[in-house]
Amino acid sequence: MYTWISLNSSNDLTKLETELSTEYGPGRVAKKLAGGISSAVKGVLIERNYVDKDYRSTYYNFYAKKGQRYRADCVRLHFFDGTVTFDENALKLNCPEGARQLSDHYFGFVVLRPTGIATIGRSIVSPDVRSGASRYIITARHKVHLLGYKLFIEGFPSMDQHIDISVCAHAACWSILRHYSERYNMYREFLTHDITLMAHQFDPGGLIPSKGLEVSHAERVFQEAGTFPVHVTRDNTKSSDPSFYRQLSAYVESGFPLFAAMHKHGHAVAVVGYDWRTPVNTAIPGMRYAWDEIQALAFVDDNHLPYIPVLVAGGTPYSSEDIDAFIVALPEKVFYPADAVDRLAPTLFKLGAVVGLPPQDQTIIRYFITTGSALRHFVRQRESEFDPKLLATIMTLPYAQFVWIVEFATEAQWAVDQVAARAVIDATASLREPMPLWLIHSGAKALVFNRRTVSTDLQAGIRGLQLADMGHAGFTRMEQNLRPTQTK
Amino acid sequence: MDYEKKEGDVFEAIEGLTPVDPTALADFQRAMNDEVIPEIVKVVQERRMLAAESRHWQLKC
Repeated sequence: MYTWISLNSSNDLTKLETELSTEYGPGRVAKKLAGGISSAVKGVLIERNYVDKDYRSTYYNFYAKKGQRYRADCVRLHFFDGTVTFDENALKLNCPEGARQLSDHYFGFVVLRPTGIATIGRSIVSPDVRSGASRYIITARHKVHLLGYKLFIEGFPSMDQHIDISVCAHAACWSILRHYSERYNMYREFLTHDITLMAHQFDPGGLIPSKGLEVSHAERVFQEAGTFPVHVTRDNTKSSDPSFYRQLSAYVESGFPLFAAMHKHGHAVAVVGYDWRTPVNTAIPGMRYAWDEIQALAFVDDNHLPYIPVLVAGGTPYSSEDIDAFIVALPEKVFYPADAVDRLAPTLFKLGAVVGLPPQDQTIIRYFITTGSALRHFVRQRESEFDPKLLATIMTLPYAQFVWIVEFATEAQWAVDQVAARAVIDATASLREPMPLWLIHSGAKALVFNRRTVSTDLQAGIRGLQLADMGHAGFTRMEQNLRPTQTK
Repeated sequence: MDYEKKEGDVFEAIEGLTPVDPTALADFQRAMNDEVIPEIVKVVQERRMLAAESRHWQLKC
C-alpha cells in the first residue's frame, strides 16, 4: 500500500509509471512534477487506496453513474526532503530530529484521481519547493494524516479541472473556498461536487457544468458559501484603468485570494500572491502605488502546478493585465469599497502639512484591509517604534472589526520595507462620509478622529497628538497576510 | 446617561490630545465634499454597471 521513491534527480519521477496504473496518468504527472518541483524534494511516498473526499463527491454523483468503470479510490503522493527515510517493513517514517519534527521536512501532497485524464486532484504543495514560485503567497496551515502521523503543511489548495464535470472556474472557486475553510473557522468545507451545484439555482444534471460557467455563477458560488462577494470589472472603454489593478493588488495584499476572469482567454484563475520589482532609486517625481511596484502576480491555474508567477505585462500565454474582472469573497462588514479608498488615499495629502506626510510626488501609496486586532497585534510587536501616546491611541480607538490601512513611503523607505506614515480608515464607513478615518499619523504628529462625533461636529471630533522622535527613519511596513516563500 | 457619555468620548481615554485648528482641515474637507465624494459615488455606480455586463462572460478553458 505504501511505496517510497528516492529522488536523486527529477528523472527518478518516471518510476511513478511503473508503480501506478495508467488510470492515474502517471506519465503526465511525472512530467509535470519533474518540471515544477525543486530538487529539495528527495523522497516521494506513494499512498495507495486513499479515500479523497473531493474525488468521492464526484464519484458518487457522476463517475459511478457512467458505463465506463472508475475506481473509487485515489493515490496520494507525499513529498519529503533528504533527511527523511521510510522503513517499508515497520511502515515508519524516520527523520533525525524524531517523528514530532516530520512536518519540518514535509513539502505537501498531490492526490491522483483514477480518471485517466486530468488526474491531479486536491493538492497542497509548499511554495518553498515549487520551482519559480512567486515570492509572497497567501497560505493556510493544512493538516495531513499519514501513517498515524499528523503532519502540517502551509500552502494554497489546487487541482486540475475534471474537464467533464468541472471547468477552470469551478477549480478556482474550489481552491479559494478550501483555503477559506482551512484559514477561517467560520466557513465550512465545500467539496468539488458541491461547487458545481452551488453555481446554479437548480441541479442542471449530467455534464452541464462542463459546458462552462459564467462569471455570475462564480459570484453565486461565493454567495452560497456565506461570503459577501464583490465583483469588480475593468473599464475597457478607457485606454487603461490603473485603479482596477490597484484594487486587485490591495485585496491580494489583504490576504483575500481572488477569482480572476480573463475574458479574451475565456479562462479563470485564482490570484494568490505577487512578486515585487527589485526596488530602484529612480528619483523620478510622481506619486506611485503598490501596484506599480509589482512585477508579477501568483496564479493558481488548473492547467499548471500552483503559484505560477505571471508578469504584469508581456507574459505568455497570458499576462496579469489580461485580467479584466475579479471577484473577492469578503466578510460581511466591509462596506467602504476599494474604489473609495483609491480616491481617498491621494486626498489625504491635503492633511500632509498637519500630519507631516512626505511630498506627494515622492510617495508610494499602499492600501489594504486588515482587522483592528491585527493592527494592534502588529503595533504591540513593534512597541519601540511608537511613541507611547500613539501606541495608547491605537490600542484605545474602538475600531469596527475591519479597517483599511493606507501606508505612505518614500522610495528610499520602500526599498527597506518601511513607511513614513499610516492612515487607518473605517471599513464600515459609508461612501458619503467626509471624514471616514480613525487615525492618521507620521513619526511627528497624529490626527485622531472620534467616529461618534466627527460627522456632526468636525471641531469636536478631531484632535491632534504631538509625537516624540523615536529615533528611526520609518515605521516597519505592515506585511502580515502573505507568506514569504523560502526557496529550497 | 453619564456612563453613556463617558463611554462615547474616546478622547477622554487618550492623553496628550490637543484641539486642531479647523482652518488646517478646511482644504481637505472642501476637496472631500466638492470633488472626492461625488467622484466616489460616480465611480462606484460605474463599476456596478461594468460588473453587470461582465457577469455573462463565459469561462470554460
